[in-house]
This record gives sequence, C-alpha cells and structure tokens, in this order.
Amino acid sequence: MASGYAWFLVLGSVFLCNLMKTLLPTISSCLSKMVQKDAEQESEMRAEIQEMKKEQASISMMDEFARYARLERKINKMTDKLKTHVKSRTAQQAKMKWVVNIVFYILQAALMISLIWKYYSDPVTVVPSKWIAPVERLVAFPTGVAGGVGITCWLVVCNKVVSLGLHAFCIGPGQSEGEFLPLLQAVILAEQL
Amino acid sequence: MESADAGAGEKAACLSAAQRRAEIRRRKLLMNSEDRMNRIVGYTKNESEINAGTLLRPAEPRFHLDLDRTEPWSSASSSSRPSPFLPEASGLVSRSHGATPERGGSPMPDCSEPLAGFLEDNIGSIQQRPRGERASDELSGSPRPGLQKYLSRFDDAMKLRGQLANEKPAQDGGGSDTEEFDPFRIFRLTGSILLAVFVRVFVCTFLSIFAPFLTLELAYMGLSKYFPKVEKKAQTTVLTAALLLSGIPAEVINRSMDTYRRMSDVFADLCVYFFTFILSHEFLLLIGSETP
Repeated sequence: MASGYAWFLVLGSVFLCNLMKTLLPTISSCLSKMVQKDAEQESEMRAEIQEMKKEQASISMMDEFARYARLERKINKMTDKLKTHVKSRTAQQAKMKWVVNIVFYILQAALMISLIWKYYSDPVTVVPSKWIAPVERLVAFPTGVAGGVGITCWLVVCNKVVSLGLHAFCIGPGQSEGEFLPLLQAVILAEQL
Repeated sequence: MESADAGAGEKAACLSAAQRRAEIRRRKLLMNSEDRMNRIVGYTKNESEINAGTLLRPAEPRFHLDLDRTEPWSSASSSSRPSPFLPEASGLVSRSHGATPERGGSPMPDCSEPLAGFLEDNIGSIQQRPRGERASDELSGSPRPGLQKYLSRFDDAMKLRGQLANEKPAQDGGGSDTEEFDPFRIFRLTGSILLAVFVRVFVCTFLSIFAPFLTLELAYMGLSKYFPKVEKKAQTTVLTAALLLSGIPAEVINRSMDTYRRMSDVFADLCVYFFTFILSHEFLLLIGSETP
C-alpha cells in the first residue's frame, strides 16, 4: 500500500529537477568561469587595445604617419589575437553547457526511472475510487489499485504544476528587470548630457 | 502583252515558292525558339503529349490555319496548343502558308492583300490571345504557373528562414516554455484551485470530482469573451515552417495551433485542479490524524 509521504517525495523530486533545469545556464557559466584560467588575459588585451586606440587618436596621421601606421598594425594584431581568444572561450563555454545539459538529463532520467521502479505497484496516495470515477483506471495506472493514484499520473501532474509555478515566479522578476534596464539607460544618458 | 502576263505569272509563282520557302524557314526557327523556351523553363511534361498529339493527328496542323479568324484563340488553342510558347507569328506563318495553297494561282497584287488582311487578323488574334493563352495554360499545365509556384515557395522559404533566425534569440532568452500569463489564464488557474478546495471539502463525497471540473470549463468557455483578448504573436517554429512549405495553408495551421493551445489550457487547468485536490486531501488527512 501507499507509504505516507510518497506523493511528497515525488513532488519534491520533480520540483528539484525543474529548478535545476532553470538554473542550468547559470551553473554552466559558473563552471566555465572556474575552468577558464586565462580570463584576465582577455580583459588585459581589451584594456591594451583601448589605450592604443586613445594614443592613435591623439596622433596626427599627416604628421606622424609611420607611428600611426605602426600603432594601427599593433591594434590589428591585438584585435585578431583577442578575437581568437574570444572564439576559443565561446567554444569552451558551449562545450561546457553541452556537457552540463547531458549530465543533468542523465541524472533526471535516472531519478525518474528509479521513482517509477519504486512506486510501480504502490500508489503514491489512495482516495475513494468513486471520487475519481470514471477515470480511476487511468489515474491508478500502473498499480491497478482501486482509488489509487499511480506514479505516472502523479509525475505528469506534478511536472505541469511545478513548471507553471516556476514560470510564474521566473516571469515576475524578469519583467521588472525588463522595465528597469531601459530606465537606467535613460538616466545614464541624461547624466552624460 | 502576253509575255508580260506570263512573266508576271512566273514571278508570282517564284515569289510564292520563295515565300513558301521563307515561311518554312521561319517556321523552323520559330519551332526551335519554342523548344528552346520549353527547355529553359524545364517543360518536359507535355513533350510526350505533343508527340502523341502529332502522331495521332498528323493531318491536323500544329499551327492554326484558320484564315477567316473571328472567333477567339482559345477554341483553336485548346485543340492544338500543347505549349504556351507558341509565338504569335506562327499564326501569321500558318495563315500565310494556309493562304497560299488556296490562292496559289492569284497574281502578285492579290498576295499583298491577304498579307495585310492576315496582319489585321493577327492583331485581333493577339488581342484575344491572353484569354486563350490562359485557357491553354490551365488545360495543358504549362510550366509558367509551376515556375511561379516554385518561385513563390522559394520566397516563402527565405522569409520563414529570416523569421526563424529573428525569433530564435527571443525564444532562447525566454526559455523553452512559451506560456504567457494573461489575466484570463490567471483567472482560470485561480478558479481551478478554489474549486478543487471547495470540492474536497463539500462535494467529493456525493459525486465524482471531475463533474464540477467539466462544469467549470464550460463556464470558462462562456466567460472567455468578457476578458480582454491578448494578441498572441504567431511564432514561426521549425514545425510551422515545415508545414507551410509542404503546402498546408497557413489558415489551417493557425486553426490547429489555436485548438492545440486551447487543449493545453484545459490540460493545465485539469492538472492544477487534481493537484490541489490531492494536496488538500492529504492536508485534511494530516490535520485529521493530528487532532486527537
């Protein structure tokens, strides 16, 4: 027969899986930052390019063409190096994201299979069968217990509800950020003017 | 006098022969141009029909030989026009060719008159040609509509590609779940939760829990018109693009997507309702077990 809190265990597992799914991009970016050791090199290169550009802007091309051209070559070389660096970093990030996703989906599949294996013949909860007529057989699948709620039905229901709930919570802060950023940009522009 | 007449007659005969040869040459060129055009457009479908037609009706000329042409082109074209690229001059050629045997013995001044007449007739036939050409196109399945269809499909494919490329960043930013919480949707979900609690507390001992749910959904169908309708942007996904390119009309796709959206709304309501019901049932059991 159903254990006391099987429904809560399944609900908790589904909630955890969905939460991890929403946090996957953050996790993969954190991991890629940890793995990358030469992240400072990129910022140094950017700063160097900025300085060289400032210096180039201060030089008159007519008066000091040779120096101007030398700087131009240096800037181009540094920019190419930066581009290569950024490309490799992006490729590494994509690889990391892919690995994280694969691992997550494997773990999720393993968790779901283990839950189904455990509660294959036991319903997660039992209610009087006339309450859930006429679909009591469908709801009880695969347990076959009259009035029971089977693992498959409960997994589907929990998945849907949890995804709806997380979506509602994720939308709220996202919307406020979406309204806030343009305001911030407007304020910065006004200050500059 | 007689020699002059005989000379004129010979000249007329020579001219008619020369004219005949010129017409034959012109016809050959025109025939080639038609074949060339057909090959460019890829018109090979009716080649067998043309061959069959020419084999079956060897006596019937390929080019229309109606001298006294007053009726529209379509009646002639339907019988003997497999290709749309028959040039108008072929009518002139055929007419002049057709004319010469009938008026083979006519003197030179008479030859010029029929030509002028043929020109006038041809102008009329050219004016009437578009109707006939359209009919022939419809009847024979010319390559022009096929080419236009292909080009329009290609344009659609390029537009859809652009749309997909534009919508992909938006979709990636928003996540894979594209559900939107408009007021009616929130109202539905709240109503389902409240009904589930109410049914658990008061109703479930008397009847099935799905009966009130069905009543609620019927009520929602009626109430939907009182809520502001949120214009949902038709998202072009790979599936819709594939369906569009395979020839399914956009209206059918939109209607199917709309039906699918409604069904998913009902399913979401059912899941929330059942979840809340079970949760409230377990909560009541917990309270019941804890109370002495």
